[in-house]
Amino acid sequence: MSLQKTSKHTHTSGHSHTAVHRHNTGGSAIDFYACNSRIRHWNPGFKAGFAMLLVLFCIVADNPYISGILIAASAFFTVVLGGLPLRKYLSVLSIPITFILLGSLAIAVDFSSKPVGDYNLYLHWFYLCITRTGIQKTLFLILKVFGAVSCMLMMTLSTPSHELFSVLGKIHCPQLFVELMYMIYRYIFILLDVQHSMHIAAESRLGFCDFRTSCNSFGKIACNLFLVALKKAHTYYDAMEARCYDGTFAFLEEEKPLKPVQLLTAVLFFLFLMVIWLLTK
Amino acid sequence: MKEPVLQVNNLHYTYNGKDMALDGVHLTIQEKERIAVIGSNGAGKSTFFLNINGVLTPTEGEIFYRGTKITRKSLKQLRKNIGIVFQDADNQIIASTVMAEVSFGPMNLKLPREEVKDRVNMSLDYMNLSALRDRPPHYLSGGEKKRVSIADIIAMKSEIIIFDEPTASLDPVNAAMLEEVLDKLSSEGKTLLISTHDVDFAYRWADRILVFGDGQIIADGTPLSVFQDEAVLNRANLKRPMMLDVYTELIKSGLLPDSGNYPRDMSSFRKCLKNNISR
Repeated sequence: MSLQKTSKHTHTSGHSHTAVHRHNTGGSAIDFYACNSRIRHWNPGFKAGFAMLLVLFCIVADNPYISGILIAASAFFTVVLGGLPLRKYLSVLSIPITFILLGSLAIAVDFSSKPVGDYNLYLHWFYLCITRTGIQKTLFLILKVFGAVSCMLMMTLSTPSHELFSVLGKIHCPQLFVELMYMIYRYIFILLDVQHSMHIAAESRLGFCDFRTSCNSFGKIACNLFLVALKKAHTYYDAMEARCYDGTFAFLEEEKPLKPVQLLTAVLFFLFLMVIWLLTK
Repeated sequence: MKEPVLQVNNLHYTYNGKDMALDGVHLTIQEKERIAVIGSNGAGKSTFFLNINGVLTPTEGEIFYRGTKITRKSLKQLRKNIGIVFQDADNQIIASTVMAEVSFGPMNLKLPREEVKDRVNMSLDYMNLSALRDRPPHYLSGGEKKRVSIADIIAMKSEIIIFDEPTASLDPVNAAMLEEVLDKLSSEGKTLLISTHDVDFAYRWADRILVFGDGQIIADGTPLSVFQDEAVLNRANLKRPMMLDVYTELIKSGLLPDSGNYPRDMSSFRKCLKNNISR
């Protein structure tokens, strides 16, 4: 299987270890971490609801202290309770961080024909201006976005996607959407596998030797993938029908009861946030 | 005579309206038979399986399940009682955890929740998958996926189980595991149909062999009678099983007497050698 490969890591500290490791292809890495989280057995509705509440609160409160606490709390939740190595948590975070930094740069820096900022850079035709309040505003914004994003990650890194889908189903999201989500989620991995083997097959025939050939091969793989997808959809449907599929998806789900302690902790944490908010408002 | 489980009369099927994928198949299957279905690629084996499972609707011909003719209304009856384990497990597995996957069939049968739970636990146990119950299928190995796809069908408690080329793409350990499961299922009274290209396996395991060729059944009989029929072997491009070849050669060269009792697996072959040498 393509997503799985045994890779040998060498850390900066010098030691190395061999581990069965899924290939880090963005989404699938997050999915893998979520499936191996130590708090996966917690009630998914609780995790999703709590995380969403915190995201909303982080945005509504618009308070750097709250944001800071939330960043720390989600890191604690994911790394300490969830058991995800810090290094991996940071590597997942690095993607949104890049976007946040690039985006906020545009907010911090102004263009002007006159040097109106506290710091100005003359670029022959115009000035790049930065004001102190601008910097502060940007920093707070970064904290806020970062806080909200870590709350989201707290949910995604502890709850596998399909459990989130079932939560969506329980809050009466249209069934069609939920079923589509299930199927697409499962299908992504199959298509990734097929794409991977096609890529290797092309590469073994020098399909990626230079830029022109690479583009050509890429196009052909994409086209082929489409045809394979159509064909697979057909066989997939046959297999479902063979097991008495009659138009509605139904799976048995493990019951994951909500523990009162968890609920209590969540409420207390939320109250604590409220108090901080009121004190620093 | 006992009532057959499944009876197929003059079954025709065409995918495009022109070329017949199935061209007049007649077949009667009795309870507890161990049937190996062999034949070259494109001979119509898979099409036949999908037809008797009710996924494909025959262009012509009729199917009887326990004496009742299958119509559009009783199609579900057919699917409930005949399960297919597909060749490629990835084309069969749809859910996001092993447990949810195995529950798909029973849930579609609209069984009560407790019953579904029991059946899922039973079949996970049966296929030795209990430790993997919460794993997503895309993090399983090929052999594990195959086991999941078999557990899928066991949970449905179908009377007839069809395996479409189960040994393809399995390593020797998993293939041996599969054979054990087949023996176990058959000892529990299931009727098994298995398509395979492995003639040695078919000779050893089956008590009846169907040979498909050009959408028809060109031979139907005991393993010995089918594999001794040169005409059939030539027509279907089949090899003779190694065991049969070796045994025939031993008889021809006078090393063994022709007792008419052909050994089908290694242990009975060994016994046969021992009996003759000690004498």
